[in-house]
Amino acid sequence: MFELRLALVLVLYAPLGLLHAELPSPELSHELNRLETPVAAPDFSLEDLDDEQHALSDYRGKVIMLNFWATWCPPCRREIPSMESIYQDLGEKGFVVLGVNEFETPDHVFAYTGQLSVFPTFPILFDRDSKVSELYGVKGLPTTLLINKQGQVVYRAAGGRDFDHPEVRAIVSELLAESDGDT
Amino acid sequence: MIIGYHLHMKRIFRHTARILAALLLSVAGPVPHGMAAVETFTDETSGLLSWQARHPGFSLQFIQLLPDYVRAVYSGRGLPPKVVELMAGYCMFGTIIKNESDKPLAYRVADWRYITADGQAHPVKTKTAWLQDWRDMGVAFRWSLLPDDQQFAPGDWSQGFTTLPLAPGTVFKLKYQWTQEDEIHEGIFEDLRCAPAEAPDV
Repeated sequence: MFELRLALVLVLYAPLGLLHAELPSPELSHELNRLETPVAAPDFSLEDLDDEQHALSDYRGKVIMLNFWATWCPPCRREIPSMESIYQDLGEKGFVVLGVNEFETPDHVFAYTGQLSVFPTFPILFDRDSKVSELYGVKGLPTTLLINKQGQVVYRAAGGRDFDHPEVRAIVSELLAESDGDT
Repeated sequence: MIIGYHLHMKRIFRHTARILAALLLSVAGPVPHGMAAVETFTDETSGLLSWQARHPGFSLQFIQLLPDYVRAVYSGRGLPPKVVELMAGYCMFGTIIKNESDKPLAYRVADWRYITADGQAHPVKTKTAWLQDWRDMGVAFRWSLLPDDQQFAPGDWSQGFTTLPLAPGTVFKLKYQWTQEDEIHEGIFEDLRCAPAEAPDV
C-alpha cells in the first residue's frame, strides 16, 4: 500500500520537480573564501559512473575543484553548467573538476544528468557512504573546495556558486600559474 | 542613624546593581533585530507559503513542505517506509540561510526556539538528534536536514529541512539567532504556519 501511494506521488509530482513552493532560490554568489592556512587535502578513492576508480592523488600537480553535491539539491543543479564551462575552458591547462555525489546510485545520477541542459563531462564520483564528505568536514550541499597543485585545500565555498564568474576564473588561473613548489 | 545609613547604602547598592545588570545585558545579551523585514510569499503553482526575514547582512527563509513532498524526498533516497512516514509526520520547512554581509557569521539551530499557541518555547530538533534516530533505525543517510551549526564566510549560504513536531496547519512563532563578531543577534517569525496535509486548491 505504501509503495502504491508513493508511486502515485512520484508519478503525479515528479514532472513538476518539486512538491513544495518553488524555492525562491537565492542568486548564486561567486565569492570563494581563501583559507587562512591551507590544509592538506586527504586522499581518497571513489568510483565514477563507469566503475573506474579515481584517487585524489592521481590528480596531484593539477588544480582541483572538489564539488560535493546531490541530485535533490536545487543549487547543486544550478551550478553544474558553470562548473562545466570553466572545466571546458581551463581543463587543458591542468584544471580538474571532480563532482562527488553523496549517497546516490550511479543509475539514478546517470538518469538525472541526462535531463540537464548541460551534460557534465567532468568525472562524477560516488561517495555512497558519505565517508569522503565526512573526511572533508562537509556539513551541507553543495560545498566546493579548491585544491592547489601541492594538494592543499586553499579555497572553500558553502552553498551554490557561479563558477563561470570572472573572479572565480581569475582565482583558478592564479592557482594554475603557481608552480608545484610554491603556494 | 546607623540604620538609616544602612538603608540608604542598601538603596544605592540596589540601584547600582540594577544599572550594572542592565549594562551587562546590553553588552552580552542578544541584539534584537526588530527591524527585520519579513515577507510572505504564496507560490502560484502550489499555493504553499514561504517567509523570508531580511536583516542587514543576514537572511533566513522558511518554505512550507507538503508531507507528500517529504515522502518523495526520503523514499527517493532509499530510506525505509517507517523512516519516510516518520519524517512525513513532522511539520517540515525548507530553510535557506545566507550570509549577505562582508564578515563571517555563525548560527546554531540549538539556539532557536519555536513558540506554540500556549506561549511555551521549545527547542528545535537538530540534525545531530535526527541522525542518531536514523542510525538507530539502521539508516546511514545524513543529508537533507539543515546542518546544526555553521560558520559562514561572506557569500556562503546553506539550505536544508527544519522539522517541528506540529500538526499540519499549526501556526507558531520561531525565534532564531546568529552571531557575528562576538555579538548575538536575534529575530522572530511571528506567524509561521505548517503546510497543510494536502496540497491546497489553487
